[in-house]
Amino acid sequence: MKKFNLEKDPKITSGFKVPEQYFDNFSEKVMGQLPTDTKKVIPLYNQKNKLFIAVAAVLVFGLFLPVYNQLVQPSEELDTITLENHLSYQTNINQYDLISELDKEDLNKMSATIPLNDEIIEDHLTSNSDLERLLSE
Amino acid sequence: MQEEKEFIQELLDPKTQNEAFQKLLHTYQRTLYHHIRNIVLNHDDTDDVLQNTFIKIFQNLKNFKGESKLFSWMYRIATNESLTFIKQKARKLKVSTEELNTKSIDNLVSDVYFEGDEIQLKLQKAIALLPTKQQLVFKMKYFEELKYEEIAAILDTSVGALKASYHHAVKKIEAYVTSN
Repeated sequence: MKKFNLEKDPKITSGFKVPEQYFDNFSEKVMGQLPTDTKKVIPLYNQKNKLFIAVAAVLVFGLFLPVYNQLVQPSEELDTITLENHLSYQTNINQYDLISELDKEDLNKMSATIPLNDEIIEDHLTSNSDLERLLSE
Repeated sequence: MQEEKEFIQELLDPKTQNEAFQKLLHTYQRTLYHHIRNIVLNHDDTDDVLQNTFIKIFQNLKNFKGESKLFSWMYRIATNESLTFIKQKARKLKVSTEELNTKSIDNLVSDVYFEGDEIQLKLQKAIALLPTKQQLVFKMKYFEELKYEEIAAILDTSVGALKASYHHAVKKIEAYVTSN
């Protein structure tokens, strides 16, 4: 079978035919359909709507402003962690300064009762290697 | 180029618009007709699409920026209108665009405005099997004899990509015609 070659074989046309006199009145047909130059009418209610939306937006914004301020008001009370961090890293206060600030009530809160009886004390003293030294002293 | 700018000004000026548009119609109606006919295949459909194309050209003249040639811009509108027409027609008939294309080729046999012989019909059948982009490139290059640079401007693609598309299309068509 002979191999078909588009480039070398004779040119093939599309085979499409245009009806006779088709182009004679084509331009008139199109010209008759062209849109006429009329100014675009903008309905009044659209402008009213825009104005209404703008006023509503201003009112909503104005009413929401105090609520927003209330919501974003920073808290005046410091939380414990922030205070501790500040005292630990940001100041020159040392443990002696803190101890000097403690009153009797604070000391009572910190006091702990350690349950000790005579047997425990005796056991501790007999097992302690420095007992003789302590007795001689 | 200067002449084209002046012509566009005439098309935009309400005083000279009608006369200039008639000139545009006379200059391009035949080339655009054949471009559209090669895509939609049927004369009546071509007539509809061609009218719509010129109406769209007229409506969008004020948006024409002059970045491409008037010719490329009009061809692009005609191409888009043709492809949109095919999609809409296929949707209306509830078939795919490929099925519609095959049906249109079959109808060519009884079409009074198709005077093709066996090889022309076979060529149309072979083209219908190609992807849309390759079909467009092949028809514009082979039937309409447009330059690659012109096709590139119309389809907004590179010359290299077009050459590759055309080469693939030619190989597939040659294989189809040889074996059928």
